[in-house]
Amino acid sequence: MITLRALTKRFGDVTAVDDLTVDIRPGQVTGFLGPNGAGKSTTMRMVLGLDRPTAGQALVNGRDYRTLRHPLHEVGALLDATGVHPARSGVAHLRAMARSNGVPARRVTEVLDLVGLDARAAGKPGRALSLGMGQRLGIAGALLGDPPVLLLDEPVNGLDPDGVRWIRGFTRRLADEGRTVLVSSHLMSEMQQTADRVVVLGRGRLVADAPLAELIAARPAASVRVRGPEPAALAALGDRLAAEGATVTAADGGMAVAGSTAGRVGDLAYEMGVRLHELTPVAPSLEEAFLELTADSVEYAAGPTGGDTR
Amino acid sequence: MTAQSTLDPARRTTRPAPAGHPLAGAVAAEWTKLWSVRSTWWTLLAAVLTMTATSVQLAIYARNGNTDDDPANDSGVVDVGEIVAGSLELTQYVVLALGLFAITSEFATGTIRTTLRCTPSRGRVLAAKASVVGAVTFGLGLLLGTVGAVVARPVLGEWGRAPLGGTVADVVACAAYLALVGVLALGLAAALRGAVLTLTVLFALLMIVPLSLQEPDITVLTRIADAFPGVAGNHFLAGDTEPYPAAAGLLLLAAWTATALALGRWALARRDA
Ligand SMILES: Nc1ncnc2c1ncn2[C@@H]1O[C@H](COP(=O)(O)OP(=O)(O)OP(=O)(O)O)[C@@H](O)[C@H]1O
Ligand SMILES: [Mg+2]
Repeated sequence: MITLRALTKRFGDVTAVDDLTVDIRPGQVTGFLGPNGAGKSTTMRMVLGLDRPTAGQALVNGRDYRTLRHPLHEVGALLDATGVHPARSGVAHLRAMARSNGVPARRVTEVLDLVGLDARAAGKPGRALSLGMGQRLGIAGALLGDPPVLLLDEPVNGLDPDGVRWIRGFTRRLADEGRTVLVSSHLMSEMQQTADRVVVLGRGRLVADAPLAELIAARPAASVRVRGPEPAALAALGDRLAAEGATVTAADGGMAVAGSTAGRVGDLAYEMGVRLHELTPVAPSLEEAFLELTADSVEYAAGPTGGDTR
Repeated sequence: MTAQSTLDPARRTTRPAPAGHPLAGAVAAEWTKLWSVRSTWWTLLAAVLTMTATSVQLAIYARNGNTDDDPANDSGVVDVGEIVAGSLELTQYVVLALGLFAITSEFATGTIRTTLRCTPSRGRVLAAKASVVGAVTFGLGLLLGTVGAVVARPVLGEWGRAPLGGTVADVVACAAYLALVGVLALGLAAALRGAVLTLTVLFALLMIVPLSLQEPDITVLTRIADAFPGVAGNHFLAGDTEPYPAAAGLLLLAAWTATALALGRWALARRDA
């Protein structure tokens, strides 16, 4: 469980995180979404006691991270930078981490196995690690203490398709084991595959905190884009569709028809002898729903509340 | 990919607190980190080579001073301990680097975030680093003192003297001096973050400022210079009784080190990592 209470962080006159209040619950994968610079990494750094909040609190299982004695057993994290010294081997890096928290040495081999790094890759110095290897090593470090809470900042960054699929399965399993899993991304489509719940940030403010299914259900309905060379005929077609209960709106050089299908629009146009140049079904992606959400947050950024727009 | 659970089944229900005091863990981690980068080994080698070269050179100066025609530079028969202490003037900067890099390299590479995630208590991190840097620079000091004495003695020939008890005491004093300035460098580096800036400040503290104060030979200024860490250390190494006893020199240097650590701890706790 991660508890954020009125969490705020300012860097000079930039408000990176703005009055954020949210609970990240165990047993599910929570997607942490927001465009670049929304404040996701800053929030995670505050949870880990690396950045000091300007105001508010970030607690892990009810405690301030800075007061934990053996934190790797409580919280595992992968940050955007790998945090491996360029001249130190991956194994030595993990071994040092393990020793700091009283984790037995055999666990290092175990986690390397878990993330699929062989001895040769793990023996390379930090500077020689590929982006994907670095990510895997970072995840290995997060798992060292077998923690009930995990924070992963853009874990798929730099991974190959195989690695991406692996991360999805892996975060799923960690959540199924009852852990709290917070995974950041700026791609909604990525979250669509893994998250149970999403927390969306826009300019440091909470934009949405809802089950993924709810967000999907709330996205704009599918529509059909229709264009033709004869405006009058097209308008007549629009009237017929509206009479049938569809929602018709004018869109550049044609119209958008919601609540009907491309098949129905085509049949009707044929019946009425209306010439069409375009008939395209448009299914708004989750990505668009997400962009719409965050665009709003920018628009209402000066509003008085953190804005739960659900 | 392996299908095994990441949870240790035995731990899943009980989750006992891990054994061991976190400070012991932090010290072990710092020890592992120090010896897992090659630059540490190069620094040790550089320190031994510098010590050898300067000890030989100082021994040659002492002998030549006694054998040339100029009576003004005759130092008579010298203790090898004196040569060893003199050699530290230069060699200490190589040893300082060890204390300094123990933390500046973490700031520069971002590994400090890993360190602070493992050990969130800033005081504990600095205490662990100070223990490891102190122990290593002390051990290195013993080695360097021995090396210096061993190479200087034959060069001095009839103009040298190495009474066992006195020489051992001098070597241990060297080690204590190096450990204190090594940890001083660490504390200062934790506060200042950058290696170059820290080295510059250390250079000023240990050499430039006290030297400029002593230069005009005005009593007040010389007294002020006596309060600086390098000068205090030299009074300790030389076993002086003036302007204060050798033990006071050691305490004064230790006070500088403690102050630097406190400053470093304050900065670590205050700043974002
Ligand atoms: N140390 C810092 N000093 C000054 N400004 C900072 C600092 N760290 C972050 N910021 C600013 O805070 C804001 C949030 O940054 P943050 O890295 O948390 O965003 P993010 O959501 O993780 O973005 P991304 O998707 O690009 O990783 C940005 O405007 C960034 O420029
Ligand atoms: Mg980020």
